[in-house]
Amino acid sequence: MAVDRAQQPASGAYGTPRWVLVASLIGLVFAALGVKVLIDPQGGQNLLASIYETFGNSAGADLLHNGQGDQFIAKLLLAVVALLVGVGGIWLLFTSASTLVERLTPKLRDRIIPWVFVAPALVLLTIYLVYPAVATVIRSFFDQKGAFTLANWASLGKGEFLEILRNNIIWLVVATAGSVGLGLLVAALFDRIRRESLAKVFIFTPLAISLVGATVIWKFVYAVQPPSEPQFGLLNAIWTAFGNKAVAWSTTFPINLPAEMLIMIWLQTGFAMVVLSAAIKGVSVEVLEAARLDGASERQIFFGIIIPLIRGSIVTVTTTVAIATLKIFDIVFSVSGGINHDNVVAVRMFQEMFQFFNDGRAAALATILFIAVLPVMILNLRNFRRQAAM
Amino acid sequence: MGKKPSTMAVFVAVVVLIVGACSPSASATPGAPAATGPAATAGASAPAATTAPAANLPAVPTGYTELDKALGADKPYNTKKVSIQTQWTGGEATGFANAIADFSKATGITIQVDSIGSSHETVLKTRIEGGSPPDMAALAQPTGVLAYAAEGKVIDVATFMDTAKLKAEFASTIGLTSDGAHIWSIPTKADVKSMFWYPVKAFAAKGYAVPKTWDELTALADKIIADGSHPFCVSAGGPGTATGWELTDWIEEVLAKSEDPQVTADWISHKVTFEDPKIKAAFDKVSGLLFKTGAVDGGGPQIVNNDLKTAMDPMFNGDTATPGCWMQKIPTWYGPDFFPDRRTNGGDSKYKIGDDGDIAIAPFPTISDQFKGVEGSADSFMVLADRPEVRAFAEFLATPEGLKGWITSVGVLSPNNKVPAEWYAGNYKLKVANQILSGATAVIFDASDLMPPSVGGGSFWTQISDWANSNGTNTDAVLKAIDDSWPQ
Repeated sequence: MAVDRAQQPASGAYGTPRWVLVASLIGLVFAALGVKVLIDPQGGQNLLASIYETFGNSAGADLLHNGQGDQFIAKLLLAVVALLVGVGGIWLLFTSASTLVERLTPKLRDRIIPWVFVAPALVLLTIYLVYPAVATVIRSFFDQKGAFTLANWASLGKGEFLEILRNNIIWLVVATAGSVGLGLLVAALFDRIRRESLAKVFIFTPLAISLVGATVIWKFVYAVQPPSEPQFGLLNAIWTAFGNKAVAWSTTFPINLPAEMLIMIWLQTGFAMVVLSAAIKGVSVEVLEAARLDGASERQIFFGIIIPLIRGSIVTVTTTVAIATLKIFDIVFSVSGGINHDNVVAVRMFQEMFQFFNDGRAAALATILFIAVLPVMILNLRNFRRQAAM
Repeated sequence: MGKKPSTMAVFVAVVVLIVGACSPSASATPGAPAATGPAATAGASAPAATTAPAANLPAVPTGYTELDKALGADKPYNTKKVSIQTQWTGGEATGFANAIADFSKATGITIQVDSIGSSHETVLKTRIEGGSPPDMAALAQPTGVLAYAAEGKVIDVATFMDTAKLKAEFASTIGLTSDGAHIWSIPTKADVKSMFWYPVKAFAAKGYAVPKTWDELTALADKIIADGSHPFCVSAGGPGTATGWELTDWIEEVLAKSEDPQVTADWISHKVTFEDPKIKAAFDKVSGLLFKTGAVDGGGPQIVNNDLKTAMDPMFNGDTATPGCWMQKIPTWYGPDFFPDRRTNGGDSKYKIGDDGDIAIAPFPTISDQFKGVEGSADSFMVLADRPEVRAFAEFLATPEGLKGWITSVGVLSPNNKVPAEWYAGNYKLKVANQILSGATAVIFDASDLMPPSVGGGSFWTQISDWANSNGTNTDAVLKAIDDSWPQ
C-alpha cells in the first residue's frame, strides 16, 4: 500500500479522475469544430444543412444553401454553438490546463497554478490592449505608403489642431469641474432634505441614457427653425417668447461649446452625486458633533472637515469624469461633427482615420489622447493604493 | 493622399470630356459591335416593354469571359456566393435589388447585399483594414477608391476585363479611378447635380417663369423676396456629419458654368488655389445670391442648421400652393423618400414629380454662353476578392443590362453610354437629366469629391460652414484657411 502510493504519480494524491482528462480532450475537439462553424460566415446554415442531410432532408439542405428555408433555426443554432463554445470553451480551458498541471510534482505545481489562471487574462490583455497601444504609437510615425515620417506629428502644430486641443482643454476643465462641483453641491444639499432618495433619482436618471441618446434629446432642446416657422426647440421657444431672436445654440461658436458641455454635465452630475453622497454619509457623526460642540459653523464643517475626509472619493470621481471628458466623442460628433470650431481630438481622430484616409495622423491623435489620459490614471491608481493602505 | 494631386489632374482631364460621353445616346445601341446579341435583348424589351418584362440580362456573348461562362446553360457558379456592400438604402436599395435579381436567378450565384447607409465608409474601412472585406464594395468618392488601391487592397479590373471596351463604354467616368493601365473600379451609377427642384403649380399661379440664365435667376429671387417669401432652400447641417456638400456644390456649379473646365481641373490639383480670383468670383456670386437678406429663411446661419431631410419642407406649405421656399439645387438621387408626407407616414408620397405634377425639375441656369458645364457624380464598384463568380458579377454590372432593372423600376442614370435612351423614357427625372446632359458643353465631376478628402470633406466643409454663419462676409479668410489646410 505504502509502496504503491510512493510510486504513484502526483495526480493520484489529488485524484483528478481520468475521465475528466478524456472528457476535456473530447471537448477540445468539439470546441475546435465549433470555432470552425463560427468563423464560417455561413456556419449556421451549413451546420443545419448537414444535419438535415444526415436525416435525409436534402431538399431543406439545398434551400438553406441558397439563403432560403429555415434561416431562423440556422441562426438559433449558431447562437447555441457560440454559447457552448464560449462558456464551455473557457471551462474546458481551465479544467484541462489545471488537470495537466496537477500531474506535475507538488512543488512545480504550486508555482505554475496561479499562472494557469492568470494567463488567459494576460493573453487577452496583451492582444487587445498592449498590442494595439504599441502598434498605434508606431503607426503614428509612418505615412500612408509605409515610409518613416515625422509629418503626422509636425502637422498637429497647425492652427486647426491647436483649436482642437484648446477645445479639449476647455472640456477637461469646465465639464469635469461642472460635473463634480454640481455633484458635490447636490450631494451635500440632498443630505439634509427629507425625500432624499427621490430627489437623487431625478439627478441620477440621465446617467442611464447613452451619450448619443442624450445628444439627440438636447438637439431638440437647441433646435432652431427659420424665422417664419414655429420654433419647436425648447430653448428657442422660451427664448423667443421673451421677444428675442432665435439663436442657433449648437452651431454658433462660441455658444456651442458650453451647449455641448452642458449635455456632459447633465449626464455626469448624477454619477458624481451618488459617489460623493455615499462618502458624505460615511463621515462619522461623532466627528461632526465634536466640531459643532467646538462652535464650528456649518460652512467651516463642510470645507474644513467633510471635504478633507472625502478627499479620496472626490479624487476618484474627478479622475473618472476627467478621463470621460478627455475622450469625449459622441456628443461633438452627433451635434454637427465638430464643424463649427467645436471639434475635439477623438472626433478628429475618427475623421482622419475613416474620412481623410490619414491613418498615421489618426494614430498620432490617438497617442496624444493616450498620453493625456495617463497622468490622470496614475493619479487615480495612487489614490486607490493609498485607500487600500488605509 | 498627399502624393495624389499630380495624378488627380490627369483624372479630371479625362473626366472633363465633351458631352455625349456620359449622356446615354439613343443611337448607341443599334450600332453596337455585338449587334446580334444586344439587339436581340433590346428588340425583346423595347417593343414588348408593356407586356412581359424581358430579363434584365445581357445576351451572350457579352464580351466578358467569366460572365459568358456564368450565364452558360450548365451554370458553373451555381450556389456560389458574392458578398457586396453598398451605401444605398431606401429606393436606391430597392432599385439595385431589382437590377441584380435576374442575374442571380440565371447564374445561381447568390448576391448578398449589405446596405449600410450613412456609416458605409466607416464599416467598409474597418472590414477592409481588418482583412475581411466584402467581395465588392460601392464607393462614391474616387479618392477613396484610389486610397484603397494605393494600399494594395483592390483588384485591378483591367486584369480580367476588356480595357478598351470599358474605356469606350464608360468614357467619361472610367478615368476617375484609373491609374495608368490600372482600373480600380467600375462606374455603376451616375447622378446629375446641375438642376433645381421647384413647386411647378405655385410658379404658374404666381406667374414666375423658370429662370434660364443667372440674370433671370437673380431677378426671380429678388421678385420672390419682394413678394415676401424666400427663393431658396439650402441645407448644410447634416444628416449626421454629411454637412457642407450642398454649399460646395453651389460653388462648383457656378464655376462649371462660368469658367473653362480646365479651371476646375486645376482647382482640384491645387494649381488654382482657393484664393485665386476665379474661385473667389464663384464664392462672391453664390454669396450675392444666397446670403442676400431674405434669400434663405433665416439667412446663412440657418443654412448651417438645416438638415437635408427637412430643408425642402417649406416648399410643401399648403400642399406646395404657398411655398416657404421655391428652389432647391439638389441632384438626381433626391426624390419622394425626402418628401414630408412620406417621411412621417411612410408609404407613397401624394406629391408627384413632373412638369404636370407638384414638384418639377429644371436645368440649372446658364451663366456664360461659352461654358455650359454640367456637374455630375458617379458611384463605382471596387472588386476586393478575385474569384470567378465575383469577376462574373463585376462584369455583369459593367454591361448596360447590369443596371436595367434599376433604371426601369426606380430610375437611375447609368454611366454606361451603351444604355439605350428608351430605357429612360418612362422616368421624368431621368428625362430631364438626359436633357441637361445633352445641353452641356462638358461633364464635370464633383470637384470636392476629387480633392484630398481632408479638404473635400474636411476643411472645405468646415470653412464653408463658417462662411455661411457669417453670411459670406469673411470670404477672404475662409479661402485662405482652406488653402492653408491643403496637405503638403
